[in-house]
Amino acid sequence: MEPSNDVALDIIITNVVSVFRTRCHLNLRTIGLEGSNVIYKPEMGKVLMKLRKPRITATIWSSGKIICTGATSEEEAKLGARRLARCLQKIGFKVRFSDFKVVNVLAVCSLPFQIRLIEFTKNNRPIASYEPELHPAASYRIKNLRSTVQVFSTGNITVTGKPLTQILNFQDFSACLHRAHTDYCISKNYSQII
Amino acid sequence: MRKCKNCGGTDIDVDQARGDAVCMGCGSVLEDNIIVSEVTFVENSGGGSSAVGQFVAGDSSGNVPSLGGNFHTGVGRESRAATLQNAKRQINHLGHQLQMNQHGLDTAFNFYKMALCKHLTRGRKSSHVIAACLYLVCRTEGTPHMLLDLSDLLQVNVYVLGKTFLVLARELCINAPAIDPCLYIPRFAQMLEFGEKSHEVSMTALRLLQRMKRDWMHTGRRPSGLCGAALLVAARMHEFRRTIKEVISVVKVCEATLRKRLNEFEDTPTSELTIEEFMRVDLEQECDPPSYTAGLRKQKLKQIEQELAKKVDDIEGEICGYQDEIEVELESCRPKARGIFASYSKDDDVISLASSSILAGDEEGEDDELRAAASHLCSTLSGEDGDGNEQDGDREKVSPTKRPSLALLLGALPTAASLGLPESITKMREEKENDVEAENGELDLSGIDEDEIDRYILNEKEVKVKTELWMLQNADYLKEQKEKEERIAKEKEEGTYKERKPRKKARRREPISASTADEAIEKMLEQKRISTKINYDVLKDLNKSSPKSPTRQTDEASAGAKRSTAARQRKPQLTSPKIGKTISSFGKRLQPLVCAQPSKKLALDQKGLGAPVATPAAPSQNAVVVESGPVAYEDPADEEEEDEEDEHCVSAMQLMGGTDYGYEVDDDGF
Repeated sequence: MEPSNDVALDIIITNVVSVFRTRCHLNLRTIGLEGSNVIYKPEMGKVLMKLRKPRITATIWSSGKIICTGATSEEEAKLGARRLARCLQKIGFKVRFSDFKVVNVLAVCSLPFQIRLIEFTKNNRPIASYEPELHPAASYRIKNLRSTVQVFSTGNITVTGKPLTQILNFQDFSACLHRAHTDYCISKNYSQII
Repeated sequence: MRKCKNCGGTDIDVDQARGDAVCMGCGSVLEDNIIVSEVTFVENSGGGSSAVGQFVAGDSSGNVPSLGGNFHTGVGRESRAATLQNAKRQINHLGHQLQMNQHGLDTAFNFYKMALCKHLTRGRKSSHVIAACLYLVCRTEGTPHMLLDLSDLLQVNVYVLGKTFLVLARELCINAPAIDPCLYIPRFAQMLEFGEKSHEVSMTALRLLQRMKRDWMHTGRRPSGLCGAALLVAARMHEFRRTIKEVISVVKVCEATLRKRLNEFEDTPTSELTIEEFMRVDLEQECDPPSYTAGLRKQKLKQIEQELAKKVDDIEGEICGYQDEIEVELESCRPKARGIFASYSKDDDVISLASSSILAGDEEGEDDELRAAASHLCSTLSGEDGDGNEQDGDREKVSPTKRPSLALLLGALPTAASLGLPESITKMREEKENDVEAENGELDLSGIDEDEIDRYILNEKEVKVKTELWMLQNADYLKEQKEKEERIAKEKEEGTYKERKPRKKARRREPISASTADEAIEKMLEQKRISTKINYDVLKDLNKSSPKSPTRQTDEASAGAKRSTAARQRKPQLTSPKIGKTISSFGKRLQPLVCAQPSKKLALDQKGLGAPVATPAAPSQNAVVVESGPVAYEDPADEEEEDEEDEHCVSAMQLMGGTDYGYEVDDDGF
């Protein structure tokens, strides 16, 4: 029986990674000594700075390139990046906020049914690959969108890739998932729930 | 037809045995010591005879082994063959340790050859690639070898091996079938030494595994862990005392994993059966995966908590109600506050009333509460940007679907339309186009709280403290840096300072695909900048302006002969443009290229150039001395004459000495 009701699924964005440039050379030692929430690793040549308000961790290199991770949305990432730049400005560097780009977005979603990974992988070769010895999830790579979907047998899936394309590829992906689940799991689910 | 030089007769007798070519008309010897290329035979020690020669692969580059030269590569071996031989040796070595049969080893070698062709061995340790090839064979054949075994043998991290294996499988388009834990059971059973009953124990373990599969315990788990649990239970069922430690040492998982698997199995209804029942009956009901049940359990706990909280709220509400009544009573009894304090007391009442009403009013259900919270959150977020449509999308998503609203779920997947996605996507896209933020790099300070940022920066005292701490912490590193600097300074003084530049990554050039030789040369010239002194534009026209015609070749030969006699004269350019002094440098540089790219026309040109250019070096102007091979070109001026040769495709033979075979010696003496 094919139900026609549409159900809203939570797609929660859990991590947004972005980069930007300050277009000026940064003295890592100064930042390391004057910031209150920084970790300076001279062996690696970078400074880790953590902000509290948008919860963000930034890696700062002396060339002026900065990578921000940990934001939960793209706007938040931008805000955090700007805050960071402002902070560096106050320390005394002539920072300019340029080339801001969101590089990677990670989202998780929980499907209400289980997935048989082996059958799923068989039907979707070679896009999907599953190696139980290495990782419990099957990874499904969508090449033209350059994103990866990791499918766990419990129904949780994580989508990693470029921003905006995330949602689009979920659309494509749901089509093949639909095939996977209608064949195998749906009847079982009904018996469980009802 | 070959013509005799002296009489012009065409009747020439070539005697292969003596290696002579003699003109029958005038009797002059035209050739001496002809190089004969026939099959020759050599006698063996056993008395038999074998043909002389070497096997050369079709794709080999044709490197001739130098007589008495390199002893390292051996006779007639080149790099590719050496690599393959080395790989074969390593595969056999590793394969024998795993007790693989010869067929498997051969297949692995074939995989390696395919990987080599696709350049997958570059940048990877050869041992990794070989291990990956072997494991690929194991997977396709279905042998009970684990990746862990290979990594044990090589002492390499299993995930590194796994990555190489995945890349290999993907590039070679080999779909390795998924691992079935049932494959491992006979192997582990043997290692656990069950003696005669080994077969029975294996069968029981297999049944257990099948049960586990149906109970969703095996998806996403390491097959070895499941095997271990199944074997342990099977052993106990057949009255073998195998401890967990023994099983672990065989199966290569840790104790925690094994215990967890056993616990999960315990949760399944199958565990309730007795041994006989289990052997007879197969329960129909299937279970959910353990993590799913764990998740459900958590949800249930949450639910219970929420209900409790609700009840507490109810009770609190009641208590508040009583509280109010009591207070009212007290108020009426209490003397009223006058003056300023009157207003204060009123405010307090209002606040407490408000809070109690909130508590009381929330009996409708957590759904509403959550929705309210969600909308509140959304509204704060929307304070940052003004994209209203996206907020709608957010609200939809945030609407809670936890709880046995699974009952409402009818299993249909949401279409994009239901999520309101396409509209929000297009809106976002438009926004991005419109929103050209500060391309000049100016920092947009809106929405940044200055005070908060000030808190991030330490004041002077704190900076001092931190500096001290940091210096202490990183003392080692700072010491190292100082020593390094001193060392460099010393070396600089001594003059032995070697500046170590980081090696630039060698750029991989794509193979040139061209339809004609002209195109190929053009493309090669574009890619490879050979010299700054070459006028490349001229070179490009080089091939275009000249039609290839074999009839011209005879003219060339005569022209070549003429030129060599008039060595120092500079001939005016006829049709082809000047290339100038560059030919010599071209010649020098292209010498190594010649061997590698025989198809390129330039090579032919170069060879042709090489010979006549040698003539200026000869002391006598009249003598025609044709030398082959690299010669030092001292006089660049004479090279200009050679331009005409580039017009069309001329065989090296003709350029080197006309139509005669072999070399010409000074004719003066004869």
